[in-house]
Amino acid sequence: MSPVIRHIRSSALSAVILALFTVCDVRAEEIVVIVNLAAATISKQQIADLYLGRSDARTPIDQAVGSEIYVEFYKKVTGRDSAQVKSIWSRILFTGSGVPPKQLRDSAAVKKAVAANPKAVGYIEKSAVDASIKVAVSID
Amino acid sequence: MGFKVTRAIAASMLALGTATAHAEAAIDTIDKYVTFSGFGTLGVVHSDYRQADFVGNVIQPRGVGSSSWSATPDSDLGGQANFTLTDALSGVVQVLSRQDANGQFKPTLEWANLQYQINSDLKVRLGRMVLPTYEHSDTQNVGYTLPWVRIPIEIAYTDAGLHSDGVDVLYRVKTGSVTQNLQVQLGRTAVDLPGAEFTSTPATVVVFSDTLQYGDTSLRLVYQKYDGSGFPKVRLQVSGVGLTYDPGAWFVMGDSNYSQDKYFGDLLAWYVSGGVRLGRFAPYAIYSTTRAQSVGTSGLKSLGNDHTVAAGVRWDFAKNLDTKLQLQRVVLDSLNDTASFADVGPSARVGDKTNVLSWTLDFVF
Repeated sequence: MSPVIRHIRSSALSAVILALFTVCDVRAEEIVVIVNLAAATISKQQIADLYLGRSDARTPIDQAVGSEIYVEFYKKVTGRDSAQVKSIWSRILFTGSGVPPKQLRDSAAVKKAVAANPKAVGYIEKSAVDASIKVAVSID
Repeated sequence: MGFKVTRAIAASMLALGTATAHAEAAIDTIDKYVTFSGFGTLGVVHSDYRQADFVGNVIQPRGVGSSSWSATPDSDLGGQANFTLTDALSGVVQVLSRQDANGQFKPTLEWANLQYQINSDLKVRLGRMVLPTYEHSDTQNVGYTLPWVRIPIEIAYTDAGLHSDGVDVLYRVKTGSVTQNLQVQLGRTAVDLPGAEFTSTPATVVVFSDTLQYGDTSLRLVYQKYDGSGFPKVRLQVSGVGLTYDPGAWFVMGDSNYSQDKYFGDLLAWYVSGGVRLGRFAPYAIYSTTRAQSVGTSGLKSLGNDHTVAAGVRWDFAKNLDTKLQLQRVVLDSLNDTASFADVGPSARVGDKTNVLSWTLDFVF
């Protein structure tokens, strides 16, 4: 194998690896849990309790069910997939003890809702953070 | 002419647009106050036992007999409306159709109560509520919420977990990282009694329950006391303890209850179950049993005694849908009011073994 070809090969390989990393980066964009500017901060356990219906202390807000950020958030914070979360909330719903978190269509809508309600808790991509809300916890 | 038509179209489109906007606004307003949801199960069961009918729950008078398939033990359909009246006041109404004690699918009102949230930890409910007699008793008809095809029948043998009409107070107490959910309830109910077939007697019921939640571990303690006139006079007390550990990737749980009644004697029912979640599949196993502990004034011995070993798998194959396949073997340890069977024939014997195959499709919407 000529050095030139070897060079091209290793460049191509680097490019592929780089591309892979970029793809992974996009997929695993950091999620942050946000609260109202006036609200006290919140722990990861309290967040899990809120989103699994074990606490009424605050008002959790969801992203669209099945969206990439929804799936990642529940997997990392509660260790559960969409079907398990649905099953848990069905148990709460069909005993009349509560209704699942309200779903909003995107991070902009979640931010708006959290900025407007001191009790609201939401989750968005880290890149969507701005001064209207504050970050309580980073989910990696 | 062309201009007129265009204008007419534009005007009607505008009108349509306004009407749609109005309709949407109206729907939004309704959405704010009422939300509708529902659940159901389509199931078929096969039993290889010739001497009795395997049933889906203790109140059913008929089930699946020998070499046949039946859809009646597990199939059901429910609809619910949640009302949000103010920030603190809400209501729920749930109607269920499932084979009842008369063998019919007549819709019944399972839940119908108003609740007032005094603060984020204190709530009062008034109306009809399903009793929290055992783990999952209040969602026993919502197959989608269960890891199995159905609740192990033995745990419901002395108390089917029916609904009561009355008042209850729910109080949540946080102590460090342990949350307790305390419940006190007083109501009127129909209590089911052991016997050749399902009989119900009106009774008052008092319930004390406490569910301690520590992360993914939950401990359930419940005490229920029934008082009813009529014959036999009901003085039934049921004490239950259940433990669940469910971190998401797998689960283990156990539930038990000890019931005491002068006439029927004391009975102990319990089960243990475990399962793992492998992507969309969740295989599981259950061992369940009920055993009479004493003989009451009725003189009936070994009431309901049986034991069951079951294995199955849940597959969450699509959004809001799951399907389950379960194989179980039930061993009759007594012929006095069999827990898992109805319509027992004269050739049934203690020690008879029955293989039951169940398939269900559960949905929520």
